Amino acid sequence: MWQPNPEGRKIFRHGQESFALASETADRCGAFRPDVEEEWVVDEERSCYNCSLRRWTAASFVCLAEG
Amino acid sequence: MKILLCIDDTDNLESRGTGELASILAEQIEERGWGLSQFVTRHQLLVHPDVPYTSHNSSMCFESDIKVAVLGQLIAYAAKFLERESASGSDPGLCVSVVDRLADSEAIIAFGKEAKKSVLTKQQAYELAARLGVHLSEHGGTGQGVIGALAGVGLRLSGNDGRLKGWLDIATDGGVARVDQILAQTILGGVRSMDGKLLGPEEIVAVDTKPKAVLLDGQAFLMVSPAADAGSVRWRTTPRQQLKGF
Repeated sequence: MWQPNPEGRKIFRHGQESFALASETADRCGAFRPDVEEEWVVDEERSCYNCSLRRWTAASFVCLAEG
Repeated sequence: MKILLCIDDTDNLESRGTGELASILAEQIEERGWGLSQFVTRHQLLVHPDVPYTSHNSSMCFESDIKVAVLGQLIAYAAKFLERESASGSDPGLCVSVVDRLADSEAIIAFGKEAKKSVLTKQQAYELAARLGVHLSEHGGTGQGVIGALAGVGLRLSGNDGRLKGWLDIATDGGVARVDQILAQTILGGVRSMDGKLLGPEEIVAVDTKPKAVLLDGQAFLMVSPAADAGSVRWRTTPRQQLKGF
């Protein structure tokens, strides 16, 4: 699911279009914080792709949640 | 006269979003009797490790039709508003362009398109703004937001970039609505398929929750895709994940 980046953060290994997996992952995440609506990528709120703790990279995103 | 106002890089993890600040500015223009404001659009800029960004890199823009005499007052108000409301650690930028006074509209559109593809500098933004007679100012932090603010004006001016902030509120009959009914309830210019077909007034669309509109040909459009599973209904609103290209 995740791989570490050089800063010790987690990179989502499944890119920017694994919608079901991003939703399931956010469902299980205690740190999920929805971003403002205009930055949502999918219609269902609870998705890593809609989380304010994600930082987009060219191919995927980095998760800033601790733990 | 018609102006475009764009702001960028006003937020942090804890604060209100840049889109909300843009909406407040648009409303304030109307409440103060300065003019009438249109919808706010979000414009995606380059996501790149060399571009400092929060959780995204986008700017928020709207058009207003204002009284000529209030332009200076409006810019001063927006500048103070950003200084007061922008989040700690943000780098807010403000761009205000009088559309009919733009010396070279193609140049600002080109700047906007370039900001989606490459890393631009504040110096490039200020030089272009000065040449075109566009107001561009920074209001805290590094002021890096001026790049996105200028780019956002260019992209909104292009008429073919960005999504509208918020969802469309469309009343349906059991989840479906005719195109003419949709248009009567909204500010939309039309309903279009993803391959560019403009739907006729009597065509029926299955409307999912939270439908988004995009900016095309200078107007707001609801995008639809063929509905494989909706019985006799041929179209369904396109989900947001398929609107990333906008």
